[in-house]
Amino acid sequence: MSGASPAGGRADLTLPRRAFPAMGTVVSVIVGADAAHGDAAVAATAAVFARWEARCSLFDPRSELSRVGRGELALVDASAEVRDAYALALHWRDATDGAFTPHRGDGLIDLNGVVKALAVEEAGEALDRAGFAGWAIGAGGDVLVAATPAGPDGGGLPIGIVDPADRSTLLSRIDIDPPRRRAVATSGSVERGDHIWTLPGSGPSPFGQVSVAAAELVAADVLATAIVAGGRPSLDDLADRHDIDVLAVMRDGGLLATPGWPRRASGADA
Amino acid sequence: MLLASAASAAAILGGWQLGTAATDGLTASGGTTTDGPAGANASPDGSASSGSSSADSSGSSDATQSTDAAGSADAATSSSGASDGTYAGTTVSTRFGDAQVQVTISGGAITDVTALQLPDHDGRSVQLSNRAATVLQSEVLQAQSSSVAMVSGATYTSSAYLQSLQAALDAAGF
Repeated sequence: MSGASPAGGRADLTLPRRAFPAMGTVVSVIVGADAAHGDAAVAATAAVFARWEARCSLFDPRSELSRVGRGELALVDASAEVRDAYALALHWRDATDGAFTPHRGDGLIDLNGVVKALAVEEAGEALDRAGFAGWAIGAGGDVLVAATPAGPDGGGLPIGIVDPADRSTLLSRIDIDPPRRRAVATSGSVERGDHIWTLPGSGPSPFGQVSVAAAELVAADVLATAIVAGGRPSLDDLADRHDIDVLAVMRDGGLLATPGWPRRASGADA
Repeated sequence: MLLASAASAAAILGGWQLGTAATDGLTASGGTTTDGPAGANASPDGSASSGSSSADSSGSSDATQSTDAAGSADAATSSSGASDGTYAGTTVSTRFGDAQVQVTISGGAITDVTALQLPDHDGRSVQLSNRAATVLQSEVLQAQSSSVAMVSGATYTSSAYLQSLQAALDAAGF
């Protein structure tokens, strides 16, 4: 694209970054201070995503999971990564009382609910091993930041939450501060709503969008999905059982926030 | 705060454990009932998922647990089924860590409740409930796209990305 952004144009957030398509969405990578090696960081991240797509994409008929779905590959013969991802998804199904599930209505195993977050976490580990500091990875609503704080002043990195009523604007902001908060995930019941099913008998979700901040991305992503699917009872139950902050947008635009979701100090700047 | 939380958890766990104690009393010949893994996985664990959520909340949703505790206590008293002794409750996971209490029963009544383990708090303020409440948009932190590092929204497709704020951010960073 264009060259360096105008010097001093605005605050400190013109961080060196790259983006590439994967998993039907776009993955954005902030490579921190080591901009000179940004290409290597993106290559490492893209390689991780490519491996997970080859294992678990249901859009790729050659993937392991597609072959499992057609009965050509027994699950016990699938790679350890696929089996572990399935086990992880089943763990979260139980932990959410079924509000999150890897089982599609047609009986296929669908690991999309965990694979994107797993890929981001694995890519983050790769960046750590390669010596990158202050990185952040965003993948279609899933955001994970390095364990070392990367904000402009060494504090939390500001993450914007999209307004589902006007997706060109932001609804809120949360500054995530490692290690207790390294991840933010947002799930919606509108766009690509095909990957969330509400619990049987519970009708359409009361929530148009749910954002969860947590220490780990898989947990944040799964719990956001489960709260959309399970509605208010799941929100209350899961927020109490997990160390998470939640911002839920009702279908009528109303907001619900747990006590830890950041509020404006009265009279503070926006 | 911590004490209130502990007392709340203790009361509820005590209720569960007494229920188990009353049942155990029918076959046990007194003395301390050891809560092995098998026993722990029976009824106390079954109610743990719903119970642990109410353990942290401030009480309004505890009706079921309170009823259970009272019912068990009555049964224990009338049948003298609860053997005297000290019973360790099942360890319950909360978002703050593991919690476990023990109760001492004497003459069919709880005479003591002791916390065996309580979560660490690493200095953060303890909230008894993580229940979400209604907020106005003007009450949450506001942001312009130029002041955030990443954007989190419901998953966008590759094509929707081109219209997304994230795309604008990515373009600005090149």
